[in-house]
Amino acid sequence: MRAVVVTVLIDLPPDHQYHRATLEAIRHASDDRGIPIDIRVVSTDAIGDASRIATPGSAVVIGPGSPYRDPEAAHEVVRKARERNIPLVGT
Amino acid sequence: MLVEHARNLAGIADATHAEYGQGGTPVITLLECSLQDQTIAVELAPGSLLEKLYGAERVVEHTTCSYGLSPRMQHIAEEFGMRIAATDGTGEVRAIERVDHPFFVATLYQPQLQSAPGAPHAVFLGLLDAASAAP
Repeated sequence: MRAVVVTVLIDLPPDHQYHRATLEAIRHASDDRGIPIDIRVVSTDAIGDASRIATPGSAVVIGPGSPYRDPEAAHEVVRKARERNIPLVGT
Repeated sequence: MLVEHARNLAGIADATHAEYGQGGTPVITLLECSLQDQTIAVELAPGSLLEKLYGAERVVEHTTCSYGLSPRMQHIAEEFGMRIAATDGTGEVRAIERVDHPFFVATLYQPQLQSAPGAPHAVFLGLLDAASAAP
């Protein structure tokens, strides 16, 4: 089974409770379903080309912790995911 | 997600989030009563994807939100392919989802805070199920 690339957009530091909880929740679901995952954490000011994040077979998680450093880039990822039917959850 | 929806689908080109300062049409505004670090009862909309995922009509979630959908903009959560998936006890929107998308969900609470090893959260199960089912 191919790994699902899960991009987590989050600006909170890695040791923040909500950052950790977000990654752990994805891992809990992966373990339960037996779905291999490849988690990629990206801060909003490092998004670059949104097309390279919202790709077929991937998923996107927008983590908590606004205000985001680059909200416009985050909006662009949301738009691409919507248009391309890429699974996305914003929390 | 609601700002993107407002701008690109609802025709509110200057839609913005009040947290980023003045100007534009604020779609997301400061809640009258902050929900920072609170546990809330969430009513799931009948027939929604979230109701199906949870397998329940009412759940308890933890929220850290101080901002939410502006009371003046509640209507956009039910237009242009979006629907209200959950509300709280006050009737305010707590989750939305797209009806024309395999999995496009936004929550104004933090489901990850309720997930645990061996007890994954339904929202994250749904996300991975949708991604793994994609062609």
